[in-house]
Amino acid sequence: MKRLLQNISILIFSGAVLVSCSKKIELEPTNTVNGDKFFTTIDDYDFVLTGAYSRLKQNSLYSGVNGGSIFLSAVDVAADNFYTGGDNLGALNGMFRWNYTADNDGVKGAWDAAYKVIQQANLSVRGINRFRGESPEKVNRIEGQARALRAFMHLEILRWWAPDYDRNSASLGIPYVDAFDLEQMPARPTVKQTYDKMEADLKAAKAMLSNVDVPIQSVTSIAGTGRAYMDSLVVNAILARMYLYASQFDSAIKYSTYVINARPLATATEFPLIWQDATTREVIWSVNYQTIDAPLAREIYRPASAAANDEVSWIPVTALVNSYTGTDVRKPAYFVTRNGITVINKYFAKAGITRPDGIVNFKVFRTAEMYLIRAEALARKGGFDIAALADLNILRAARNAPTGSETGTALLTSIATERRKELFMEGHRFFDLKRTVRTVNRIQDCSSYCTLLPGNRAWALPIPQTEIIANPNMKQNPGY
Amino acid sequence: MKKIRTLLLIGLVCMTQFLYAQSRVTGKVIGENNLPLAGATVNVKSTNTNVVTDAAGNFTVTAPANSTLVISYSGYQTLERTLTGTQMDNIVIVLQPAESALTEVVVTGYTTQTRRQYTGSVNRISGADVALQPIASLEQLLQGKSPGLLIQSQSGQPGSAASVTIRGKGSVLGGTQPLFIIDGIEVTAADFQGLNPADIESYNVLKDAVTTSQYGSRGANGVIVVTTKRGANGKTRFTYDVQYGVQYLPKNKLALMTSAQHLDYETNYDRPIYGLNPFGWSAGDIDSLSKLNPNWEGAVFQKAKTQQHILSASGGNERTRFFISGSIFKQDGLVRTTNLNRYTGRANLDHTAGNLKIGLSTSVGYSERSGTDENDNVITTPLNAFRWTLPYITPYSSDGSFNLDDPGGNPNPLPDLFLNTNRNKQIKAVGSISLEYRLPFVRGLSVRTLWGADFTDNQNERYTDIKTQANSVVPGGQGAINSNTLRRTRYTGTTSINYEKRVGDHNFGGGLFTEIVNRTTNSTTFTGYGLSGPLKSVSGITPGTTTNRFIPNVGGTRNGDALVSYFFIGNYDYKGKYFVNLTGRRDGSSRLAEGNKYVNYGGAGLGWLLTSEDFMKGQKAFNTLKLRASYGSAGNASIGDSYEAFEQFGNVSYNGIGGLVLINLKKPNLTWETRRTANVGAEFTMFNNRLTGSVDVYSANTAGLYLNRQISSTNGANSITTNLGKLKNNGVEIALGYDVIKSKDVTVNINANWTSNKSEILALDGNDEIIGGISINRVGERANSVYLVKYAGVDAATGDALYLKRDGKTTTSVYDPNDAVITGSFDPKGFGGFGTTISFKGIELSALLNYQYGYSVYNQGRSDVENPQYWYSGLNADLMREWKQPGDVTDIPSAFSDFQNATTRFLEKGDFLRLRNVMLSYNLRQSLTNKWKLTGIRFFVQGQNLYTWHSFKGYDPEISTGALTGAQYPALRAVTGGVSIGF
Repeated sequence: MKRLLQNISILIFSGAVLVSCSKKIELEPTNTVNGDKFFTTIDDYDFVLTGAYSRLKQNSLYSGVNGGSIFLSAVDVAADNFYTGGDNLGALNGMFRWNYTADNDGVKGAWDAAYKVIQQANLSVRGINRFRGESPEKVNRIEGQARALRAFMHLEILRWWAPDYDRNSASLGIPYVDAFDLEQMPARPTVKQTYDKMEADLKAAKAMLSNVDVPIQSVTSIAGTGRAYMDSLVVNAILARMYLYASQFDSAIKYSTYVINARPLATATEFPLIWQDATTREVIWSVNYQTIDAPLAREIYRPASAAANDEVSWIPVTALVNSYTGTDVRKPAYFVTRNGITVINKYFAKAGITRPDGIVNFKVFRTAEMYLIRAEALARKGGFDIAALADLNILRAARNAPTGSETGTALLTSIATERRKELFMEGHRFFDLKRTVRTVNRIQDCSSYCTLLPGNRAWALPIPQTEIIANPNMKQNPGY
Repeated sequence: MKKIRTLLLIGLVCMTQFLYAQSRVTGKVIGENNLPLAGATVNVKSTNTNVVTDAAGNFTVTAPANSTLVISYSGYQTLERTLTGTQMDNIVIVLQPAESALTEVVVTGYTTQTRRQYTGSVNRISGADVALQPIASLEQLLQGKSPGLLIQSQSGQPGSAASVTIRGKGSVLGGTQPLFIIDGIEVTAADFQGLNPADIESYNVLKDAVTTSQYGSRGANGVIVVTTKRGANGKTRFTYDVQYGVQYLPKNKLALMTSAQHLDYETNYDRPIYGLNPFGWSAGDIDSLSKLNPNWEGAVFQKAKTQQHILSASGGNERTRFFISGSIFKQDGLVRTTNLNRYTGRANLDHTAGNLKIGLSTSVGYSERSGTDENDNVITTPLNAFRWTLPYITPYSSDGSFNLDDPGGNPNPLPDLFLNTNRNKQIKAVGSISLEYRLPFVRGLSVRTLWGADFTDNQNERYTDIKTQANSVVPGGQGAINSNTLRRTRYTGTTSINYEKRVGDHNFGGGLFTEIVNRTTNSTTFTGYGLSGPLKSVSGITPGTTTNRFIPNVGGTRNGDALVSYFFIGNYDYKGKYFVNLTGRRDGSSRLAEGNKYVNYGGAGLGWLLTSEDFMKGQKAFNTLKLRASYGSAGNASIGDSYEAFEQFGNVSYNGIGGLVLINLKKPNLTWETRRTANVGAEFTMFNNRLTGSVDVYSANTAGLYLNRQISSTNGANSITTNLGKLKNNGVEIALGYDVIKSKDVTVNINANWTSNKSEILALDGNDEIIGGISINRVGERANSVYLVKYAGVDAATGDALYLKRDGKTTTSVYDPNDAVITGSFDPKGFGGFGTTISFKGIELSALLNYQYGYSVYNQGRSDVENPQYWYSGLNADLMREWKQPGDVTDIPSAFSDFQNATTRFLEKGDFLRLRNVMLSYNLRQSLTNKWKLTGIRFFVQGQNLYTWHSFKGYDPEISTGALTGAQYPALRAVTGGVSIGF
């Protein structure tokens, strides 16, 4: 009997083990957030928006190694601001030689990274409308920033990939992605259609950002962490730049004026501090980098504690360095001579850092650019040379540079020269030449890569081969 | 009435008395050449008691009268002897050598059957055959030993893991590593460095579906079931093994420029921008520098020592048996500073108490490893840097310090090699306990439960010294220390009810099982900075501030998965001639989304032993011939992390504030890959058992193949992992062994195995092809085909590199990625091994060669030293053939031609033949060892990887990933010698 009981209990035990352990396989990630169980409160969206900003720090955008930094270093290397230094390991050689092909890693990296910012911006407004009723100002704050960020990134992409920039151009624009949907296979709209959506987003963002629940820039904005987010002022700056590219001069003047009036130029004393993140004077928006982030401009120049160990991959051309005259505060702020070589000083380190680590904020919009936008818009509009010259001279004076009295073509040339000097290594030079249909004319150590004539395919990057393969609607740029 | 009951009771008692009348039986077991067999098992059939013979082959057992003894010994035929009343003392039992491999035991993890009965395709490798090879990681020992099993050891770094695939890669994106089971529990394949190969009794390679379907959703890539040694009844026996050896560097077939060549190249070969003689050497400089040819290989590599000690004891009595072992393994790597030290202990216990059997297996290993980075193209990696440095730059300056004056800015590898450390400390514990109870009221019914865990604690510490090149990217630039702790626990619990019964000629067996496997992995990592002080450990970290930039970086992960299964395994045979195996399994996994969690698998196998048929009685050629066929399915869900199906957001920060970014796309429809395998095979022994062999033909179809479905990257991602393909692997496996000479003193055996596998993409869900970098999956072609633009040499007039257009006819100097075409595959078409064993009296010589053929390797390591843009670094000597002027006919383009590396110029044949192992051993005469009261002494010397025939431009072509990225750690090449003593 006892035996039998024993046996029965063993059988029951085994049966119990056999029956359902199905609860055991319902595991949830603890290391990450499950998107299906998130986005339940409006506060959740704040985290995702912060994520969108963090995506700006991706390799290949502004920071990057081994061929990266397509939106910062490459823009000046592909133009006429640099020649090859002794420690060049090949990074950006393709950009310098204009021989990029559709399977170039840097090209793909930049395209993918830029659209990843847009993806994250779109995710930060996915389904946000259902909260509009209960907290409209909060929704405004998040959606306004997301739209502004999205529009800004599309403008960045347009700068590299569109063959031209005219507002009504029927050339190939770039897909404007305004919703998170992994299955879409966008075709390339025209440049005009791209602008239409960008403009609408920016206008909507501007309206939303003027009615928000809490201030967008952190209230206790200290140097080095301020101006990290997109408020309505930043939207004005984006609009000003966009209208200049689109050759819509009245609008460019209008929006740059908003910004100029809101944030004056830095004084000559303050100016060098901008590059050490010791002041946010004149900074309208910057992508903020922290200790653990990647450094900027390392593929141009990697300083070491001892100058002898510096790695100089690209050297600023002598003509540019010498163009800053006398007491121009930009010269020492932008250049330094170390170990007998003139190198860039702009991305050295934040204030107080003894060892140059290249981790500084990337100043995307500064008041100086707004002056230059307004000056150029006025001059190109025709009949406003005096106002244009006034803007140019205000900037020159602020930098302790000699003022001038140019008019006509000479004025336009001077504005272009001033842009080159003021916005050196801020992601402008190549696009400024492209925008104004000029030629890249290199005069120093350029071997067989001295001239890039208008019309060359290299003015627009190729659409990455992976995109061409994946998306049958995608058209390649001419010449590739 | 009462009387009758009493009588009956007495009668019963008497009967019982009679039934259990036991007596002592003594005897001796002898084998070939009348030698006593030590360790043979003697089983009393009626009481199921076991004893084991002692060193002289003697045994003593208590057995009921007229009972039957079953005597078995590995390599011999099992013999049954029924005792008659008079035959109780000094019985001499002579065992005959095994006539066929069919008597071998097949272990599938859940069940054990003889090969005769089993209908699946399983290869068994005896642990003793391979245990002496001086390799730390046990899966590497199996190379070339089993048909269908491809082991690719990619690195000679001590303790490194190999890539293991069974019958071709059944997955493109998912895992292809087979499932490893040790003593019934799942273990992680990557860290075998903590286990002692000498503890292994057998490796069983499960290949076809009737066997792998037992493992359901984990079985698609095949299963390797490992059993460890158990104790044997009898006098306690000790074994001590010791071996010492040295390793040597193989030759690198990619010769770099000598100093004179490099200087010639700098000064006489024009290049864009920098022109001739860019360093501006004077004639005097060139003269003195070209005489310098420092030995960089010697500075980085060493002649490395290896040693091993193993002590084991085994013994027991009828109720309790044990096996205990301890080992020390020390191996220095070929690269200076690299090494592995391992200490292991094992205790296996078996206890029988009436109907209850208890088994315990425990093993604990502690290993310490110092490693160096490999298989990358990072400039600070010493294995790259020593080849990328200028050849006329000496490793050390005249004052003995590291020479950092490379005019090309190439880092000296030695500070990074000697000053930085990368140490790994691992505790590995694998243990299980099993209980088996035979239910007395139904004969043949038993319940069994087994619970066990695989536990790994890994502590990795990387130190970056302030004086090294790697320090240049360290925040704060004052050295760093990174500590990474990973703790992984996986437990397996299996419970079953088993039943077996014989009715006439019908024999049934089977079990119902339930199983749970649960893994949790926790890791914590931190990197601290500012190690400028004297302390080079975590205690030396300087507290971080925003100005000194020493803010530590802290992170970690937590993940886990669970699998719940219900299954049955059954077998049936009729008259010992016709055999059936059946399996059905239902698995539920935490890794997949709701609604897709459960899936069913199953398999069936049929076997027919022809030589048991009457019509085969007359023939002489076949001693045994068995045909078998099987069909079934198994799955694979090793894709991504544990939560691949979920939309996941991960932590990031911006401007000092935490946020979330999308890191994993939602895949609600993601499910298992299912591999259905049809297998037909034959096993035979012929010509008086001199020829043994097996032939298998298989066709394995993977459905729901994981592939990256390309999506427009404007959506913020390039692809989504999707079950969208179909892949076929067809193959043939042949294994043969032949006794050329089999006499009293001399035996000569040769054996060979060959596997041919061909994969083909059958469908890609509407797409024609999916391109991933330099490889492509295209319908109708082999999986992982090479996809590159064809290089067509150099235009003699201009020096431009020429490429073949897609049409395959016209050449062009304009590189266009659209011209890429399929040129071969990265996976081998065939592989195998062959060898011989020759013994003469106590001397034995064995050799094993293994080979792979029909695959390509993309040599990125070569492209990095063949790019003329890197004129300031070490370069391939072939660049001396660079085009210089019109009319030059050469294969190396001008430095003015744009350098393109995604072309077939850097694609090479990977085929090789390797002398994997040669061993010469000598067993001391028994008369001598007996005199010393020892059970045996064996001396041996062996050579591992002594020579490899190949044409790959590098150290070694054995690369499973298709591309040599760079920083190749050469394969181990060793000569060792040692002795085994039994007492």
